[in-house]
Amino acid sequence: MDGQPGNTSCPENKDRWSSTTISKNVLPITIVAQLVLPISNLDERHPGLTPAVASCYHEAARICLDRHHSSPVSVVIDSEGNQTQVLIYWNAADARCKAAHAYEMKATEEGAYACALAAVEVTQGLVAISQAESKTGADYYMGTFEQPMDDLENSLRFEVSGIARCNQRAVNTRLAMKILQARSGKSNLPALAGVVGFEAQLIKIAKVLAP
Amino acid sequence: MTWAEFHKEAERLANAARIAARKGDRENAVSFYKQAAAAEMQALNSLDPSKHRTIGITTVSATSLLYKAHDFGQAELLAHRWLTKDNLPDFAAEQLRDILQTIWSETSLERAGVRFFGDEILVSVKGGKVVTGGAPLDLVVLKVEQVSKFLLRTVEWLVHAPHRKREAADPNIESLCQPWVFQAAPGSYQFAVRMQEPPQLDMFRAASVEGRQVAAVALEIMRASIEDPERNLAEVVPDSEYRATFLRMTRNLAPSGPHASFDQVEFRQAADQETAPVILRSETQQGITKFLRKQVSRPQVAGGLVNEVEIQGVLRNLSLDKDWIEVVTGDDQSKKKYKILGTGDAVDDIIGPMVNKMVIVEVWDMGDEKYKFRDIRPLG
Repeated sequence: MDGQPGNTSCPENKDRWSSTTISKNVLPITIVAQLVLPISNLDERHPGLTPAVASCYHEAARICLDRHHSSPVSVVIDSEGNQTQVLIYWNAADARCKAAHAYEMKATEEGAYACALAAVEVTQGLVAISQAESKTGADYYMGTFEQPMDDLENSLRFEVSGIARCNQRAVNTRLAMKILQARSGKSNLPALAGVVGFEAQLIKIAKVLAP
Repeated sequence: MTWAEFHKEAERLANAARIAARKGDRENAVSFYKQAAAAEMQALNSLDPSKHRTIGITTVSATSLLYKAHDFGQAELLAHRWLTKDNLPDFAAEQLRDILQTIWSETSLERAGVRFFGDEILVSVKGGKVVTGGAPLDLVVLKVEQVSKFLLRTVEWLVHAPHRKREAADPNIESLCQPWVFQAAPGSYQFAVRMQEPPQLDMFRAASVEGRQVAAVALEIMRASIEDPERNLAEVVPDSEYRATFLRMTRNLAPSGPHASFDQVEFRQAADQETAPVILRSETQQGITKFLRKQVSRPQVAGGLVNEVEIQGVLRNLSLDKDWIEVVTGDDQSKKKYKILGTGDAVDDIIGPMVNKMVIVEVWDMGDEKYKFRDIRPLG
């Protein structure tokens, strides 16, 4: 199975750095090393995710990525203006996987969770430490892996949104809307807002603090 | 056991419920949600009263789990108990009130024996003359009618019905989407539109369509219409006739600038709080109008290209079968009637809601007081 330990076709399972090695005559030359976005096995690093949920998000992400790209694809994470370039590796979704995620909007939303959670992990060192129900779904709360989870007083609520077909402008607009939404009314802050633009190869993340 | 241990158990059970629900195993889903709610209530009881934010999050979580377990009585009890306490943060109080309102409306519908399929579409009209919980009646009636027609078109598109211009909708399809309007939680002026479940869903089954898709697809069409009508909309709706109709319907839902009695209208799926709402503003109307103009080339007469003219007035009369509409401009003293011909491609659903309302009609001035129809949109 793709994404399982032992699968060597996805470098994301081995380490977080990908490098290209070329043998030129005898001496190997390493050309470049690039950070890999670890979208698989999220449950191993994010205590707020169960293996079943993590696997579901990973499958959905593969479907969303398949729509516009082939593996690997280079993606920019823009976290509070700091840009990091990462590579995403995945195995193309098979027919069964596609059938299980046929509802496109849901797949985009779930795929966005895999990418956004991995992006926050890579850029800010934060992981999903807890999950709490809302009327229609569930919110994730972010903290550090080492942090004892005695309460959620200082954790960051994570609001994630995904767009399948989009350009960079659409990702920016969506993030601005998310921030506006989080700031208006009686929101549960502090929060992180994340938007994943699958076609645009862009993940944007911003912090929304209580006034 | 500590809050963290109880809460972790609630998380595990809620995820099991979600997975059961995804597989269509409703019985197990409800059972898991019940157990999750029990664990979350224990978590709540074991919290230090000084941890306000965690109390707020856990209270909403426990109430939501009871609601999802269909245990409305316990959910109400828990929400009321916490709403009277001083240490509940504002965000949690607001979310609890929202859950209560949903419970009340679902309970009353159950009593009335009405069943629905799919999600509600929440419509929020904001700005201009709209105040919290109130809006001009004609604006509300117009928006309800436009949203209902949009949903009906979406169903027709999903079940592969031929595109219709003049004809009434197939009664079988119409029976699939009897829209109901609900009061939504206050905040500008909001209402929710939901479709009543028909006695049989053969038409959906034949087209391999799930009822729950309708609201999501309708919003996807709207979003594609405003974000990228050329590329995204063509991918979502490959049929050019349907695409043109959806584009105009989306455009007409938006306010038309300074004349409008509202500034923006927002649409979201009630069950999907993660996805950003579709927001239509006057720029939306301008953008789509500009796009539509580019699609049609200006006709020529002997003297060259004809003039493009906009007529603002009240749409008083029409006969689309006979290919004309009539617009009246000016007041009693300076009243003028314009008969505009060549409405060939105009669609009943689009023009219908505009009768006796202020409109902008784009026409080609063919000379000798003859005008050829190009496009029509509401003014206001």
